[in-house]
Amino acid sequence: MTKTKKNVSDKIADLKDGVDWFYSDDFKIDEASKKYRVLVDLAKEIEKDLAEMKNEIKVIEEDFSK
Amino acid sequence: MELAQVYSVSDFQAVCNQIMETAFSGVVVEGEVASFKVNQGKFVFFDLKDDQSSIGCFMMKFALRFPLEDGMKVRVRAVPKLTNWGKFSLTVQAVMPVGEGDLKKSFELLKKKLKAEGLFAPEKKRPLPDNIVKIGVISSTQAAGYADFCKILNERWGGLEVLVAHTQVQGMAAADQIIRALNYFNERNEVQVIALIRGGGSADDLAVFNDEALVRAIAASKLPVITGIGHEVDESLCDLVADVVASTPSNAAQMLSRDKKEVMAAIWGDMSRINNLFNAEVDRLFLEIKSSIERVGGDIIAKVTLIENDILAQKCILEQLNPENILRQGYALIKGDITVDNVVDITTANRNIKARIIAVKERK
Repeated sequence: MTKTKKNVSDKIADLKDGVDWFYSDDFKIDEASKKYRVLVDLAKEIEKDLAEMKNEIKVIEEDFSK
Repeated sequence: MELAQVYSVSDFQAVCNQIMETAFSGVVVEGEVASFKVNQGKFVFFDLKDDQSSIGCFMMKFALRFPLEDGMKVRVRAVPKLTNWGKFSLTVQAVMPVGEGDLKKSFELLKKKLKAEGLFAPEKKRPLPDNIVKIGVISSTQAAGYADFCKILNERWGGLEVLVAHTQVQGMAAADQIIRALNYFNERNEVQVIALIRGGGSADDLAVFNDEALVRAIAASKLPVITGIGHEVDESLCDLVADVVASTPSNAAQMLSRDKKEVMAAIWGDMSRINNLFNAEVDRLFLEIKSSIERVGGDIIAKVTLIENDILAQKCILEQLNPENILRQGYALIKGDITVDNVVDITTANRNIKARIIAVKERK
C-alpha cells in the first residue's frame, strides 16, 4: 500500500483536529504532552511547506483576438 | 478616353468598396451622434458629425453594446461603404462612447436597463469557493494591474494553479476578447473561479467594462466571477454583475488567496493556547494532589499528637510512681528482715544507711 503524501491543506486540517482534541472530552493529561509535541512538529512542517510552495502561473496559448 | 477602363456602375461601386475596404479596414472615426434610430428592432441608423461634416452610419442592433442618444460623442470602428444607391456611409462594427460625460450617460442608461432585468440582483451572487487551488485570470499580461495581482498572490500563498487568458483590457476589441476568454474557461470548466483584472485608467480606458455583451456574458458565466478593475472609486457594470467585487487587482488577489503569514500566526496562536491549557491542567492536578497530601498530612499529625499526649500522660503516671520521687518526698525504703536486733538496709533520697532494729510494734 502506497502512502499518499498529504498537501498543506490536509496538514492544516490535521492540525486543527489535533488542537480540537485539547478542548474535547477526549482530552487526557497523560496523552497531552505527546500529542502537543506531535502538533508542534506538524506546525513546523506546515510553516516549511508554506515557505517553499510556489504558484504555477501559466498563460494560455489560445489567441482570444480571433 | 478610349484608353480609360470602362466600368459598369455596379462594378465601379464594387471596386470603390474594395479600395476603401483595403485602405480603411477597421477605421476608427470619432464624432457626435445625430438622428439616431432603430428600424424593425434590428437595424441602427445614425449620423456621425462634427463642426463641418456628417457621415451616415449603419449597424446591426446586436452589435450595439452601449446605449446611444443624439448628442453623445462616440468612437466607431467601421468599414466605409458606397451603397447601391451611391450614398457613402460607414458600416459600423463597434461603437463606444467617449468623454467622461457621455460615458457616464451611457453607463446610467445601461445600468437602469440591466437592473430592471435583474442582472445585478443580490440573490444571483455566488460566494467564492472554499479552498481555491485553480484560478482563471482574464487580463492583459502587460498590464500593471496583472503584475500587482500576481505579486500579491505569490506573496500570500503558494500551490495555486493560475491559468491566464491574455486579452486586451481597453479599446474597442477588448470586450469581445474578454467574452471569448470567459467562454473558454466556462467550456473547459478547469478552474474554480474567474478573475477579471485590470488596473486603473481613464474613463475611456475602462469603458470596455460597461459593454452590454460583456456584462451579459459575466451574468451567464457558470463559474463564479470576481472583478478587480481600476481603483476603489471606479465602478463598472462588470463590477455590478460580478459575483464578487474586489476594489483593485491586488484586492482580488487578497480575496482569492489565504495569507500564509496569517495562517501561521493563527497556528502558533492555537499552539500557545493549547500549551497554556495543558500547563493549566497540570497546575490544577498539582494543586489537587498537594491539597490531598496536606489533608492526609493533617490527619497524620492529629493522630501523632494524640499518641504523643497519651504517651505524656503515661509518662506522668510513671513519674509519679517512680520510687526515687517518693524518696525525694522524705520517705525511706527499708530492705531486710524486720525483727529485733536484725540489721536492715535503709535507703533515703540521698543516703544508704544500715540500722539495727531495737523494737518492733504492730500499728493499730
